[in-house]
Amino acid sequence: MTFKAFILGMLATFGLPWLFAIVLPFAEMRGLESPQLDEEGGYYDPGRAERISEGSKVYGQEGCAVCHSQVVRPTYAGWDVHRGEWAGLRASPDQPDDTRRETLPSDYFDEAVAHIGEARNGPDLSNFGRRVEFYQKGKEISAEQWVYLHLYNPRGIKNYKDDQFIPAKSTCPSKRSLFDQVPLYQAGDDALALEADEEGFAVIPNDRGRRLVGYLLSLKKDTLGQPLPKDWTFTREAPKAE
Amino acid sequence: MSETPSTTDIHDIELRSSIDRSLRHPVMFFFASGSVWLVLGILLGFIASAKKHAPEFLDCISWIDAGKVDAAHLSALVYGWGCQAALGMISWLMARLTRKECTASGIILVAGHLWNLIIMVGIVAILAGQGSGVTLMAFPSYIWVSLLVVYLMITLWSLVQFQVRDAGHVYVSQWYLLAGLLWFPWILGSAIFFVFASEGHPLMAAAVAAWFKSGVFLLFLLPTALASAYYLAPKVTGRPVYSYNVALFGFWALALLGPWAGFQRLMGAPIPQFLPYAGAAAMVLILIPALAVGLNILKTIQDQKELAAQSPSLRFTTSGIVLFIIFGVLSFGLNTVPAIKMTQFSYTGYGLDILSIYGVFSLCAFGAIYFIVPRVTRREWLSSRFITWHFFLSLYAVASIVCCAIIGGIIQGQGMEDLSQPFGTMAERSNSYGWGVTIAWAFLLVANLVFCLHLLLMWARLGRRSSHPTLLQNHHPESPHGPEGEIDNIGSVNA
Repeated sequence: MTFKAFILGMLATFGLPWLFAIVLPFAEMRGLESPQLDEEGGYYDPGRAERISEGSKVYGQEGCAVCHSQVVRPTYAGWDVHRGEWAGLRASPDQPDDTRRETLPSDYFDEAVAHIGEARNGPDLSNFGRRVEFYQKGKEISAEQWVYLHLYNPRGIKNYKDDQFIPAKSTCPSKRSLFDQVPLYQAGDDALALEADEEGFAVIPNDRGRRLVGYLLSLKKDTLGQPLPKDWTFTREAPKAE
Repeated sequence: MSETPSTTDIHDIELRSSIDRSLRHPVMFFFASGSVWLVLGILLGFIASAKKHAPEFLDCISWIDAGKVDAAHLSALVYGWGCQAALGMISWLMARLTRKECTASGIILVAGHLWNLIIMVGIVAILAGQGSGVTLMAFPSYIWVSLLVVYLMITLWSLVQFQVRDAGHVYVSQWYLLAGLLWFPWILGSAIFFVFASEGHPLMAAAVAAWFKSGVFLLFLLPTALASAYYLAPKVTGRPVYSYNVALFGFWALALLGPWAGFQRLMGAPIPQFLPYAGAAAMVLILIPALAVGLNILKTIQDQKELAAQSPSLRFTTSGIVLFIIFGVLSFGLNTVPAIKMTQFSYTGYGLDILSIYGVFSLCAFGAIYFIVPRVTRREWLSSRFITWHFFLSLYAVASIVCCAIIGGIIQGQGMEDLSQPFGTMAERSNSYGWGVTIAWAFLLVANLVFCLHLLLMWARLGRRSSHPTLLQNHHPESPHGPEGEIDNIGSVNA
C-alpha cells in the first residue's frame, strides 16, 4: 500500500462519516425550529421555569448522569413510556388527563449538554419535577423541601408517592457538598428539617444545592398544560405483560 | 545463526541499541507514570463500584461521592494510563520500525510531564465538583485544548520519523500507528469544538461526546495495541505474519467501521434517527476486523505455543488479542436493536468499556511494556513470579468484571422491560453482580500494585544486569528474545 493510497483511504473512511454523522447533523440540529401545531401558526414551545442552565451544570458536575437517565424512549426503543410515571402523570381521580409523552428535542433547551445518562441505577428523571410536585402537593413537606432532604440523606426520607419509608434500598449518594451547616440565627427560614452535626447549627442548602434543586424541579417533560397534536402521540397500549 | 557476525548484523544491533538509548527517558517516564495512574484509576474504580451497592461506603468524604468518582475513575484509566501507555508504545514502535533514532526526547519528556500535570489538575477538578459532566470528557472545558497541544508536542516526532523513513516496504504496524496518530487529534479536536466551543443543540453535543468516547478506544488505543501485537508476534516467534493481505484487510475494516461507532448509546433519543442505527451497525460489524486480526496473530504463533507460554510479552499480547475476539463477539450480540433496547441503560455498557480498555488494550500494552523496558533500560525484569501474578490476577479479575457487569446488565435490562416488576426489585436483583464487580476490582488493584512496583524498580534501573530474559519458566536453553549478551557484548558473540 502506498502512502498516497493510505491517505486517500483515510480521507474516505474517516472524512465521510465525520461530514455526514457529525458536521451536517450538528448544523441541522442548530437550526431546529419549533414545530408548528396548527394552521393558525401556533408553535409547540413548552417553556421551562427555574434556573435551568446553571442547575444542569451542577447536575453534570455531581455525576448524576452516571446513575440516572433523562430520556423517555419511543416505544420501538424501549418501554419507558409505560413504566410508572417516568413519562408523565397517569389518569387518576386527582388528575383527569394522561400527560405521558416521549422525549422531544426541545426538552433539552437551555442546557449545554443533554444529560442522556449512562445507566439506570436510579429511576429516569425526565419528569422528576412533575412527580414530586404532584405528590407532595398539600403535604407537610413541600416539593422543594423533599428534594433537599433526599439529596442530603436519600435513605432517611419517606417516598413522595405513597409515604412508604425508603429504607436502605436507595443507592443514591448523600451529596453533603451541596449543603452548609450554619448557626441557627443565620439559617432562619432556610433551615431544613434536618439534624445538624453540632448543637445550635442548622443545615441549609448552598448556592450549588439551590441551583441543582431548581433544575430538578424544572424537569417536566410531559403534556400538562401543553397538549400534543394527535398524530404525535405514541402508542398508548402497553405490552401484554402489564 | 552464523558463527561470526557480519558487519551488517553488528550495525543492526548498534542501530537498535542507539534507538533504544535515545528513547529511554521519555518511554520509561510514560510507562512509569502511566502505571501509577493505572493503580489510581483502579482504586477509584473499586470505590465507584462499591458505592453502587453499598452507598454508605466512605460517604463521609464528599470528594469521592458517587458520580464524581466514576468520572474520575474513567478519566484516570483512559487519559492517565491508556493514553500514556499508548504514547510510550507509539514513540518506541515508530522509532524501531522506521529505524530512526529519536532526536526530540527532551521535548517529549517535558511534554510528558505537562500531560501528567494537566491530568492531575483535571482529576482534582472533577473530584472538587468542577468537571464538565460529559462522559469521558469530564475534565473542565478549559483543559482540553492544552491536552491536544501537548499531544501534538509528543507525537509530531513520530510523524516526522515516518516521513523520513527509508524507502521500501511499510509494515502493517506502521499503518496502524500512523492511523492512530492522525485519528486522535481529529476526534479530540472535533469533540472540543462541537461539545464545548460551539453553540449547538444539547443533544448533538451529547452525540458527539458519545462518538468521541467510542473513538478513543477504537481509533487510538486499539490501533496502538494492534500495532504492538503485529510487531511482537513475529518478532518473538521469529516467523512472519501469517497473511499480510488479511492484516491489511483487518486494518481497513477497522478504519471503515470505527468512525461510525458510538451513537448507539443514544438510541431512542430525539436525534437524527440514522445515527444510532449506524453506530449499532458499526459495533455489530466490528466482529469482522476482530476476527481478521485475531486469526492472523493466532495463526502466526500457532506452532509455538510453548514459546507463547514462556515469553511474558507474547503471553500478555496473545491474551489481549483473544479478548479482542471476545469483544467482537459480545459487541456483535449486544448491539442488535433488541439487545440495545434491553441493555442500553445498564451495567452492560460499562462491562464492554472495561473489556476494551483493560482486557484488550491494557493486556497488549503490558505485553509491549514487558518487551520494551528491558531494551531501553538494559536490565532484565527482576521477578518472573511478579509477572505471573500480574498476568493471572489481571486475567481472572477482568474476566470477572466483564462477566458480572454484562450479565448483571442483562438482568437489569430484563427487569426494566418487564413492566410488572417494580423498579426497586430490578435494582435489587442486580446487586449481587455489583458485588462481583467490586471484588474483582480489588484483585485487579493487587495485580497492578505488583506491576507498578516492578516497573518502578526497573525505572530506577534496579533490574538484573543479565541480558538473559525473564521467562515464565525456569532454565530454558534457548531464549526467544535472542541469544545471551546480545547488547552488552556486541561484536564478540553470536548475533
